Amino acid sequence: MFRTVLIANRGEIALRVARTCRELGLRVAAVYSTEDRDSAVVRFADQAVCVGPGPARHSYLYLPAIMEAARQTGADAVHPGYGFLSEQADFAEACEAAGLTFVGPPAGVIDQLGDKSTARAAMAEAGLPLLPGTIEPVADAEAVAKVAADIGYPVIVKAVAGGGGRGMQVVNDPDDLPRQYREIRSTAQSLFGDDRVYVERYLPAARHVEVQVLCDRHGNGLHLGQRDCSVQRRRQKIIEESPAPGLPPELVEQMGSAAVRGLLAAGYVGAGTVEFLVDEQQRFYFMEVNCRIQVEHPVTEMTHGIDIVREQLRIAAGERIAATQEELSARGWAIECRINAEDPARDFMPTPGMLTELTFPGGPFVRVDTAAFAGGRISAAYDPLLAKIAVWAPDRPQAIARMRRALSELSVEGPGVSTNRDFLTTALDHPLFVAGTHDTSLVDRLTDSQPREER
Amino acid sequence: MTSLLEPAQSDRSAPLAEALDEVRRSAQSLLADLGDRPRALRIRAGDVVVEMEWTEQQRAVAAAPAEPRPAEPKPAEETAKGSEIRAPIVGTFYRAAEPGAAPFVSEGDQVQRGQQVGIVEAMKLMIPVEAEADGRIVAAIAADGAPVEFGEPLFRIEPSAA
Repeated sequence: MFRTVLIANRGEIALRVARTCRELGLRVAAVYSTEDRDSAVVRFADQAVCVGPGPARHSYLYLPAIMEAARQTGADAVHPGYGFLSEQADFAEACEAAGLTFVGPPAGVIDQLGDKSTARAAMAEAGLPLLPGTIEPVADAEAVAKVAADIGYPVIVKAVAGGGGRGMQVVNDPDDLPRQYREIRSTAQSLFGDDRVYVERYLPAARHVEVQVLCDRHGNGLHLGQRDCSVQRRRQKIIEESPAPGLPPELVEQMGSAAVRGLLAAGYVGAGTVEFLVDEQQRFYFMEVNCRIQVEHPVTEMTHGIDIVREQLRIAAGERIAATQEELSARGWAIECRINAEDPARDFMPTPGMLTELTFPGGPFVRVDTAAFAGGRISAAYDPLLAKIAVWAPDRPQAIARMRRALSELSVEGPGVSTNRDFLTTALDHPLFVAGTHDTSLVDRLTDSQPREER
Repeated sequence: MTSLLEPAQSDRSAPLAEALDEVRRSAQSLLADLGDRPRALRIRAGDVVVEMEWTEQQRAVAAAPAEPRPAEPKPAEETAKGSEIRAPIVGTFYRAAEPGAAPFVSEGDQVQRGQQVGIVEAMKLMIPVEAEADGRIVAAIAADGAPVEFGEPLFRIEPSAA
């Protein structure tokens, strides 16, 4: 096992990783920007290094600074968390070159799976079902029009380098195609520095179901069940649960084994997530792979009783996965809500500011992952995630009731600071969510941004 | 030096206690920024008056040439702007272009804005450190070859009078 782990991240995930490191007896090295000087992880860490000013591109995303921090702290492993450099093959490569263990898959695997086009090819090769569309990037608007005519509208044009719900465009009408195609290419270029796009059929009423996989360096792989992340606003998840409600056991089994098969075939090492779309006929299609810990990992930890960060560190240290698929069992139901500092009444505008009062829920089977504290600040420089509240219960109705209760205990005060707490409660109360028959259109129904007929 | 009153502990005097607490915090912060403690300090809140008294001995020391001494790194916002030249990146600080070479600058040197005063090496990148204003180097704070964090003071500089 390692001696010192550098956590190349900030906020709640940095603190969450640091906690497991501490439990394993590992020294914690944190990095911080000038904006995060007083952050929780800086106080928690054994050593903290300032790596740059507030803007992430000059600090958390600045590879030379992070590598220097690793050198200065004597780290022998680097945990990238999620976001920032976590899915940059260059980062994994730089760690390898510096003799550091990158807690994640090899650089080559990140390269292959981070590019949507090569990821789709690899997963198709491993026998995973893909949505109708192109595997190779499309050359021009005429090519997109031809594919769209073949597979039928609506289609979704996606950036090859996209991720995190950014860099995609739904096209409903052939007349709009040339303009939207141009727009998405230019967006992709500015967001990811890569304007290549591909096309696939768009499923307006699909469910987003993902499978958590662990693979070790010895060729072993297993999955930790599913998470349903269908409650999304502008493709950003806000409520996640495990298991996914209402899926037939044979479908669950098929998706789980397909995910493990796909990642093992790609040479994956560590914790990874395979995202699928499930249509109304309960057919599933591969969407993308996330080569990192996910924001919503707590729901899987609660149903399986496994600390996924601990497994990431053990696997990175060369240890074998301790359990077999047959030995694993999930219990009960877990739901997570993402508490964002934003104002739903003002089109979910982020509300940075000072937190004068902060009361988090407690009680049985309630988990709060946060780095926020009263007297602290929500910075305008980073995403507005304030906390993740996760609950566990023996079944889904009890889990929903527990989450309602937990949200009601949450109190966040600060000049100009609002949260999406009430919006989350409204979503939990929606009859489709209560019935477990909701899909990715649920938030649109709540915000009336795209009125749809009840099915 | 003038002793500061502890805030009273009764409810009736809560506003007074808060005010005194505020005065105490301001005084502590003010004293923390001074190299040497004054003999007396008076603070008045109405129309804001701050008075400090120094002993003759302290005056004599202050008039003598400054003996440079390494300062504790302070957050950028706590020091006067332009009074310190800080590390532009986390890395290893070098005072000279190569081992054995003369340092870019020494204490007492006059420097001009944009003049190179050191190097910070990060991942084999040599990032020049430049003076942000004209002035005189009064102290070299970071040692040659020392690991430095972003924003860490490397030199203290006395800006030239505009």
